Amino acid sequence: MTDFLYPFIEEEEHDAAGLLTDLARSARAKAEEGDDLRSSTLATEGDTIRSAAQDMAHRFARGGTLFAFGNGGSATDATALVSLFRGPSAQLPLRARSLVAEPAVLTALGNDVGFELIFSRQLIAHARAGDIAVGFSTSGSSQDLIRAFSEARRLGLLTVGLAGFDGGRMAASSDIDHCIVVRGASVHRIQETQAAVGVVLWQQVHGILAGGSERTR
Amino acid sequence: MADTAQDAAGIGPLADDLAVAALAAARRFGGGGTMWCWSSGPAGHGHHVAVEFVHPVIVGKRALPAVVVDGGDAVSVLRPLVRSHDIILIVDAPWSDSGVRSALRRAKAWGALTIWIGAGERPEPGEADHVLWVGGDPELAGYDGRYVLLYHLLWELTHVCFEHPGLLHPPRDCDGPVCTTCSDEGRLAEVVRAVSMSATARTPDGLEEVDTSICGPLEPGDLILVHAGTALTIVDLPA
Repeated sequence: MTDFLYPFIEEEEHDAAGLLTDLARSARAKAEEGDDLRSSTLATEGDTIRSAAQDMAHRFARGGTLFAFGNGGSATDATALVSLFRGPSAQLPLRARSLVAEPAVLTALGNDVGFELIFSRQLIAHARAGDIAVGFSTSGSSQDLIRAFSEARRLGLLTVGLAGFDGGRMAASSDIDHCIVVRGASVHRIQETQAAVGVVLWQQVHGILAGGSERTR
Repeated sequence: MADTAQDAAGIGPLADDLAVAALAAARRFGGGGTMWCWSSGPAGHGHHVAVEFVHPVIVGKRALPAVVVDGGDAVSVLRPLVRSHDIILIVDAPWSDSGVRSALRRAKAWGALTIWIGAGERPEPGEADHVLWVGGDPELAGYDGRYVLLYHLLWELTHVCFEHPGLLHPPRDCDGPVCTTCSDEGRLAEVVRAVSMSATARTPDGLEEVDTSICGPLEPGDLILVHAGTALTIVDLPA
C-alpha cells in the first residue's frame, strides 16, 4: 500500500532478498562440492593414508616427533594438525611441532638465507632420524616444501605430503614416502579436505597405537 | 571411534545464515571496517581467516583488512583495537568462554558487528549478531575442516556482495524524526571514567557524558543502558 511513497525501499529490500537467495544457493553448492571431494579423496587415497598412518604410528612408538609445515592457509592446516596430535581430548598426546609458529625464526631465515629454506633450515636444527615431516601444499609444488622434504629425507625422517590439484611436484618427488593427493580444483575445497585427511590420519595413528602392535615409549 | 571427518554433512540451514552474515560483513568492509579474528582454540583459525581476506587466493579480488588477535582475554585485547563499524569474528571458542561472551556483549557499545563460528553448546539468542554453529562432534569441528569451510564460504560470499554495490548500504531503520527523550530508545554504553554522579561512556558514536544518579556509582568497564543522557541500569556481564 505504501509502495508509491517508498518505492526505493521496496526495490532495495527485494534485491537484497534475491542476493541472499543466490548466496545461500552458492554456499550449499560449494559445501556439497566439498563433501564430494572429501568422500572421493578418502576412497582413492585410502591405501596411502593407511600406510602413512602405519609408518607414523611406528615412528611415534619409538619416540619420534612430528614436524608440520605449509604456507598461508596451509600453514594453519599444519598448526591444526599439530594441536590435534598433541591431543584435544583424552587421547594419548603425541609429540608434534609446527614450523610456522615462530615469526622471529621465519623472518630471520626468510631474510637471511631465502624463503625457500624457511622449513628445511628448521628441520636441520630440530629434527633427527626417526622423526616425521608432514607438509601441506594445495599446489603440491611450493619450493620451500620441496626443499624441506629433500632435507627431511637426508635426515632420515618419514615424509608425508598432502598435495592438491594433480599433486604437483610433490606427487612426483622421490623424497616423499606417502603423498596424499586431494584432486580438487579449488584451493578452498582442497584445504578443507586436507584438514579432514589430517583427522583421519590422527584417528588411524591412535587406532594402531591402541591396537598394541605399536606402543609409545 | 566414529569417523566424524567422513560424517560431516552439508551445511543445510547454515547456508541462509551465512548469506546474511556475509552481506552484513560486506557492508562493514564497504564502510571501511576491519575484521578482528579471535580464536580461543590452538588450531590457528584466526590466522587462516586473516590470510584469506588480506591475500585472496583468487587474483583480482580486493584485499580486505582482517587481523588475527589472540593472547590474554578477549575483552582487553579487543577493546583498544575495535572501532565503530568494525567486525569481530570469533572462530573456535566454546560457549563456556565467558571472556568471549563478555566481549561480544560489549561489542554493541563499541559499534562492532559480531559473528561467531563454533560448535557444541549454542549461544543464547542475541549473544552474537550472527551465530554460525556446526553440527557433529564439537571436539573435532576445529580440526576436520568444518570451521574452515564456514569461513572460506564467508569470504567467498562477502566478495560476491561487492559485485552488488547498490546493496552495500544498509537500509535505514527509520526515515522520520525521532525524539530520543520521548522514545523508548535505550543504548548500550561502556563506562570509561566515572565520578560521583556522572560518567564518561563509550558508545558507537563516540564518548558521551551520562548522568548516573539513577543507577549509582559506576566503575570503568561497566556496561550500562543509556536513555536520554542518563544511565538507567548496569547490564550484567557473563561471569
